[in-house]
Amino acid sequence: MTTSTPSPATTAPGRVAGGSLGGAFNGSVFTRTLWDNRRSLLVWAVAAGLLALVYASFYPQVSADSMANVPEAMRGFGFEDTSTAAGYLRGAVFGLLVPLLVTFYGAATGARTISTDEESGYLDLLLAHPISRTRLLLHRYAALAAGAILIAAAVFAAMLAVRNSADLDSIAVSGFAAQTLNVALLGLLFGAVATGIGAAFGRSRGAVFGSTAGLGVLAYALHGLAPQIGAEWLRYLTPYHYYIDHQPLINGVNGGDIAVLASCATVAVAAGVWRLNQRDLRR
Amino acid sequence: MAAAIELIDLTKMYGARRGLAGLSMTVRVGEVFGFLGPNGAGKTTTIRLLLDLIRPTSGTVRVLGRAARRDAIEVHRRVGYLPGDFAVDGRQRAGECLAFLAALRGGVPADRIRELADRFDLDLRARIKSLSKGNRQKVGLVQAFMHDPELLILDEPTSGLDPLVQQTFLDLVGEAKRAGRTVFMSSHIMSEVEAVADRVAIVRDGRLVALDTVADLRDRSFLRVAIGFAGPAPAAEFAALPGVTDLAVDGSTMSFRLDSSPDSVVKAAARHTVTSLRTETQDLEDLFHTFYTGGGDTAAADR
Repeated sequence: MTTSTPSPATTAPGRVAGGSLGGAFNGSVFTRTLWDNRRSLLVWAVAAGLLALVYASFYPQVSADSMANVPEAMRGFGFEDTSTAAGYLRGAVFGLLVPLLVTFYGAATGARTISTDEESGYLDLLLAHPISRTRLLLHRYAALAAGAILIAAAVFAAMLAVRNSADLDSIAVSGFAAQTLNVALLGLLFGAVATGIGAAFGRSRGAVFGSTAGLGVLAYALHGLAPQIGAEWLRYLTPYHYYIDHQPLINGVNGGDIAVLASCATVAVAAGVWRLNQRDLRR
Repeated sequence: MAAAIELIDLTKMYGARRGLAGLSMTVRVGEVFGFLGPNGAGKTTTIRLLLDLIRPTSGTVRVLGRAARRDAIEVHRRVGYLPGDFAVDGRQRAGECLAFLAALRGGVPADRIRELADRFDLDLRARIKSLSKGNRQKVGLVQAFMHDPELLILDEPTSGLDPLVQQTFLDLVGEAKRAGRTVFMSSHIMSEVEAVADRVAIVRDGRLVALDTVADLRDRSFLRVAIGFAGPAPAAEFAALPGVTDLAVDGSTMSFRLDSSPDSVVKAAARHTVTSLRTETQDLEDLFHTFYTGGGDTAAADR
């Protein structure tokens, strides 16, 4: 700076070349968040789609073996019937891999809604701008929801892709749509729980992810084990009951289940918003 | 004169720990105001209260004539803020980050961002996470100044900056002042604000210990005088002189603190045989240190 005057930015190579500053996704916090998370979101969607695709395509082999020797302990987890397409998918794909994946997506992404930025100090800067805490949280959560829908859409696309080749055509397209809709709702719910915990308590990202994922795994285990300990009713306390027990692959959309999952998510987000507006930001 | 910032009896408790204890002060529109104090004195707490990031336990915070909490959105629109620990999303490029923050404010001309980035020699295409601490701080300064706010609230703005960049920063502060803007900046080093600040407040343990112009603070500095006499030191005679305090005698040598003009001391000493004379000026940094460590004249603090 002292020895040479830098040439104007617009002409100097390697400096700000004319054009934009990269503001294409700056229309709102919602679009900005989606764009910033594009890589991890792509990984989640591809992983969910591929897992569903691979496991669903195993169905012809598995049904040929008709594995009648499912361990007793696995019954509650939905592995008891592998002789039908719906039964098989309900076990491996929609009973285990996809719901746990989307639970972890919700926990990880929900921890980013508030906690990550509060931990780094970025939240201080954002909220010193003319945007309310409520608005910031809702935009971030909307981006999380869009991601959950994208993941569910990837799973839905994977199912349609192998529906014929893997002998899954006994299940209607609407059945797949109903089940993957619940996949999205499950992600929305755990995303809301992580968002709510982070917004309410201002804990670290790790703590928010850990507690939400832990809660998810606990609920999953409870849902699976409840019938074996003779406490079927416990299942009603877990989101996985509303996610799969009414067999959306066969029975299609269940309005009641959707209402339960959606209202629980709404309560978690609303509680987070309320507390966030009351409390001091941490640093 | 209108107040840019008005704090009335502001107290902030963190559980049982006290962050601020009844802080009252006013920053006038158009002035550059230095907010000084050691780490942990309550500077950042005060600044975060101004921006409604935390809420006071009791007391009133008014910024640009508005309530910091009730009118937060309006206040934030009119204020530029640099956090003490500036952090943004490391995955963004510097230009992207600035454009996003500008969009939150309803947009800032891209030319203005480029002009500031140029002055700081900041590469807008660099990923934030690849930037050094000093370069990240430049991003922070650009975002604070870019929308030409009425009030700049800067928490330790010069930390991590090299002297050249510091000069650019001081130039920007000067320009803001000439344009009628108010600048409120914290620091823990007197010399950083001495050159630009119209007035300076010093806080310690959550309380205001001094608030004055830099010139008046300078006037408060005193001399440390040591005089050696041929005979026994005439302590009683000197102790009665105006401005002499803290007097100590060590054999034939006497030392004291002198707050007023040295005239009476010189005339008193002339009546004796003086074998040695030593005086030390206490500069602003020393004075500042006195306030820091609790030796400051609290009674003289402008409340």
